[in-house]
Amino acid sequence: MPEHVRAAFPGEWLAPWLRALRKIEGAGYGAPLEAAFRTAGPSCAEIVGPEPAIDMADFLSAVTIKAGRRAGEALCAAAPAVARRFGDGPRFRSWLSLMQRFAAMAPESVLPVIERLESLLQRVNLSGLEAWLLAGVRIAGADRERRAAFFRMESPDAERLLDREAGETGFFDMERRMKAFMTALHGIHAPLREAPPGRHDGSQRRAGYGDGIIRMPASFPGFRGAQAEALYRASLAHISAHMRHSGARFPVGKLKPLQIAVVSLIEDARVEALAMREMPGLKRLWLPFHIAQSSGAMTAPSLFARLSRALIDPDFEDIDGWVRKGRDMFHAAADRIEDPGISRAIGNLLGNDLGQMRVQFNAKTYAVQPPYRDDNAGLWEPDPDMTPPEDTEAVVVESARIRPSEEDEPDRQREGDQPPDDTQRARSRPAEDPDTGIPVATYPEYDYQAGTERPDWTTVVEYPPQLGDPRFAQDVLERHADLAGRISALVRAARVGRPVRLRRQAEGETLDLDACIDALAGLRAGDMPDPRVYQIMARRSRDLAVAVLLDVSKSTGDAVPGGTVLDLEREAVVLLAEAMGGMGDPFSIAAFSSNGRDELRYHRIKDFGEPPGRRIGAALAGLRPGYSTRLGAALRHAGASLASQPSFRRLILLVTDGEPSDVDCPDPAYLVEDARRAVQRLSAEGIDVFCVGLGARNTEQEARIFGQCGFVQIERIEALTEKLPALYLRLTA
Amino acid sequence: MDLDAYRIASEPYYRGIGAEVGQFGAAYAARLPVMLKGPTGCGKTRFIEHMAWKLGRPLVTVSCHEDMTASDLVGRLLLDPSGTVWSDGPLTLAVRYGAICYLDEIVEARQDTTVVIHALTDDRRVLPLEKKGELVQAHPDFQLVISYNPGYQSVLKDLKESTKQRFCALDFGYPDPSVETEIVASEAGIDLPLAHQLVQIARRSRNLRGQGLNEGASTRMLIHAGALIREGLALPEACQLALILPITDDPDMRDALANAVAACA
Repeated sequence: MPEHVRAAFPGEWLAPWLRALRKIEGAGYGAPLEAAFRTAGPSCAEIVGPEPAIDMADFLSAVTIKAGRRAGEALCAAAPAVARRFGDGPRFRSWLSLMQRFAAMAPESVLPVIERLESLLQRVNLSGLEAWLLAGVRIAGADRERRAAFFRMESPDAERLLDREAGETGFFDMERRMKAFMTALHGIHAPLREAPPGRHDGSQRRAGYGDGIIRMPASFPGFRGAQAEALYRASLAHISAHMRHSGARFPVGKLKPLQIAVVSLIEDARVEALAMREMPGLKRLWLPFHIAQSSGAMTAPSLFARLSRALIDPDFEDIDGWVRKGRDMFHAAADRIEDPGISRAIGNLLGNDLGQMRVQFNAKTYAVQPPYRDDNAGLWEPDPDMTPPEDTEAVVVESARIRPSEEDEPDRQREGDQPPDDTQRARSRPAEDPDTGIPVATYPEYDYQAGTERPDWTTVVEYPPQLGDPRFAQDVLERHADLAGRISALVRAARVGRPVRLRRQAEGETLDLDACIDALAGLRAGDMPDPRVYQIMARRSRDLAVAVLLDVSKSTGDAVPGGTVLDLEREAVVLLAEAMGGMGDPFSIAAFSSNGRDELRYHRIKDFGEPPGRRIGAALAGLRPGYSTRLGAALRHAGASLASQPSFRRLILLVTDGEPSDVDCPDPAYLVEDARRAVQRLSAEGIDVFCVGLGARNTEQEARIFGQCGFVQIERIEALTEKLPALYLRLTA
Repeated sequence: MDLDAYRIASEPYYRGIGAEVGQFGAAYAARLPVMLKGPTGCGKTRFIEHMAWKLGRPLVTVSCHEDMTASDLVGRLLLDPSGTVWSDGPLTLAVRYGAICYLDEIVEARQDTTVVIHALTDDRRVLPLEKKGELVQAHPDFQLVISYNPGYQSVLKDLKESTKQRFCALDFGYPDPSVETEIVASEAGIDLPLAHQLVQIARRSRNLRGQGLNEGASTRMLIHAGALIREGLALPEACQLALILPITDDPDMRDALANAVAACA
């Protein structure tokens, strides 16, 4: 027994350690793993104490069984370093338990993760690591290949989510206020997108713009907190100055990369000078990033950075003749500064000088300095040989994203100042085709295990309704004539007696005679009369908007007495629409199903503004069952359309036959918890959700999602046609 | 009864931004009802005060609100020891004694309230007081003016078509930057370069209209900010107080505005 083992497991701890060691040896994992554990155990015990090191045997077994011997060996190899990093038992043990859980979720990825553990833990703490691992498992769903790629850090999501967990201020945490800042400066509102990883490594990331879209790196490594924020702000101010002042793209012509870089540099300075003429405070935003020194080397990047600084900073004196010449030419053209042509003229001359000075320039490694400036790709006509790395679908999502309601009703008075991205929006929206949906919005999704909402996790794709039998609604109403009659009687009953007389009011249109007599009697008796002697007729108005949301997932194709579940849903909704139309409540009808998180299929059957009519019946008749039930995303989307309704009470009436599920969610509790979260969020916005569950089932989940009073179970599905309208009237009375 | 209390004694400052003074004069000469449209704080109320002064008419102003009933406009029966007495409302006062009656933000009032003005705004020019059983013939000098902010009303609150079509309308916007600079400088008592800076800031906030803000900073807000600067506050501080904090509660918008102010100064 070597001495250091005795030291690591003093006294009574030695026996349990030997037992643990025997356990691993007896399990037959092979000699290398046994040896690794024999080494790792004492090393860990020295740092975090003997007990966690002994417990490690169980975790090690679990990981090895799931993920294989090599993963087990790697775990042993990594353990001492982890122990040193955490330095205490509880956190070391949490790490082991995390690895065990991760091995159960993604066995193939344990090895790559453990191999990167050191660098991962340098960036995130233990809970950040856990959140990142869970995010990776979620993002890939059931796709093992994708999951493996994520944990090998080959997918861009991996880097981005790690940045987020690392708490580096990512751009998309502050997107909204940055966007507002840019709009404020120049009245420009362009969609912002995450820049693709691109050709530069992390330290050289630059923003870019073009075709009405601005691309921002998810983070600028090395800039944190307030500094990162200032950098983003400076960057957006710079890009919006381009968009405002640069005009049409420059033709590349026969310009060499060096000349392009110099012309771009002058143009950068020109648009900044123009912007600062209007808003002098921008200088305070930009200047701190110009840190070039006059003494730099005579390389192109250094000279460029110095010239950039010389053009914006009047106090900067450069010894270099080229830099001075550039500055003097720029200042000499000050009276023509509105003309983009001067950038070309000055840039060409300076570029030629550099050529004669034989200064080396490598276009492949060159990154514009300072970092807030964009890559200037948006300034030049695109190279026809290069295909832009756009995934058009994401562009569509961004440009069609649901905007606040005030934009939905543009003010006719001010149509003049159209947002510049409108043409873009129109162009990128594909023609409506019943087979291809249009991605219209993205929503967050809640992960109960990580306890966070992942932004933009689900994408809603809207499909135009496929019209079925146009006489469908009429047929239903004829077939259920007695029911329709009873419903309209109920509607009439609910509508009568709506104005009410409110007596003894402090203000009102007429005197309340009884109150007047009392008051006068009081006066004569020498009392203080009650001044509330008026009455008013007030309408107890129904102010209610309803969004009906139908689940048309695959299971609604199941046969029940009287047709399929979907058939009954359709009929019930026809009658419900009769009742809602009769009450005069604004309502919308939509159906949904889902096919993974990227495709929440949403069919609008009737919008709020649309008058109830024959199209509803036809659109209902055209619904087909299919796919799964991603409830939370559907609720969020229905809520977003309902949120713009001015009604006092807003209600989502959900008709569903099953529990939330989707192809990429193996964990049944995940979507339930997400739906619960969605319901809570909507409720906070003043939108109630009521669920009509179909079929005899356990109601525990409904109660969990919608609350005890938030749902009703209709066991005999064939009674739905009758019950749904009646339920609606009772619910909204 | 005369309406001396409603007369405007000294000339209210008003900087014309177009031909609106002459146009209003013509409408008054023809005794046509006028609607003033425009965003809040752009000078509608100041304009009508100026016109009332210029035309030498008393001005009865009523700020409309959601709970306003017709009796708040025309008058009501009150109790006194011997029974009930009638008390004229502000509209009836103006109609009887020949004032300009200005209903500010008319759409705020309930729709059934606004129909009482219908008989007054066509060629009948009468105001029926149903509760009292009286038909008041309008004084020859009476004119009705309403204001209307098309920007922030929702679909629920719009003027009835039958009401709208009774009025001539003058459209007010924010004045041109140079004119607005002059107005801010004169009203706040600050120098022109500072006023120019404030106007530049306002322009940034108006860029955000419909992009997170319901309305950009009004001329009135700029004057407030200017007054605060005159009292010794620094520009960013004054803008925070007079522009940013009142206009929005959204932290992102506040942040964007604060940075826009910094960019302009």
